[in-house]
Amino acid sequence: MSTEASDQTNLSEKKDFLVNSASLKDVRSFSREVFEKFKIKKDLREELVLAIAEAAQNIVKHAYKDYPDTQDRMAVRISCTDKELEISFFDKGKPVEKSKVKHRAIDDVKPGGLGTFFIQEIMDSIKFKEGDKPWINNLVLTKKL
Amino acid sequence: MKFRVTENENISTVFLNGEIDMDIADNVREVIFPLIDAGKEVHLNLKDVQYMDSSGISVLVESNQRAKEKNTKVELKEVSQPVEKVLAMARKFL
Repeated sequence: MSTEASDQTNLSEKKDFLVNSASLKDVRSFSREVFEKFKIKKDLREELVLAIAEAAQNIVKHAYKDYPDTQDRMAVRISCTDKELEISFFDKGKPVEKSKVKHRAIDDVKPGGLGTFFIQEIMDSIKFKEGDKPWINNLVLTKKL
Repeated sequence: MKFRVTENENISTVFLNGEIDMDIADNVREVIFPLIDAGKEVHLNLKDVQYMDSSGISVLVESNQRAKEKNTKVELKEVSQPVEKVLAMARKFL
């Protein structure tokens, strides 16, 4: 885990993880440690952990759908000011097709798309960007504090 | 993930423990689906599940659908607070 800044008004922590489902528990542990360190309200922490884990899961499931044995790594950066939390994800997988990133119609009984719905419910904004090299995708989630 | 199963006549109660995510979801299916396929009524006790994500919800939905196909049912019994929060959010969607 690396600290990019350490004053009380602009905190940032970043860590990278192997892209596979076994890493998701490590992503959650990292997130919980950072939220404790950043003194995020306790009742908000587990919701944020869920949103982060769902976004990381989407990288494993979708950006690396055809590469289950990849040795690539993804990075998660959590930054915090007094007013806002920003969570960024970086990966080198298949470029995200923004038009396909949505939760499904409500009358479809399959649970697919639920993770994206959770992220939308918990966070205030979701932005997909092209990643700066070497990254391909950069997802940015924000939440007002 | 740890689990135990108790039997009472045609009811199998599955006690799940720990965190249920994408990495664990198939293990949970392997516990629940054979019970449903055997025609058992399955009760899920989630009081010791500390975290569940959309993959865990998928297992619950699939279990319910599978049970209907087998003319039996799956019921949630005790549920931990973290799981109840996720279920409440999922109910808006499902």
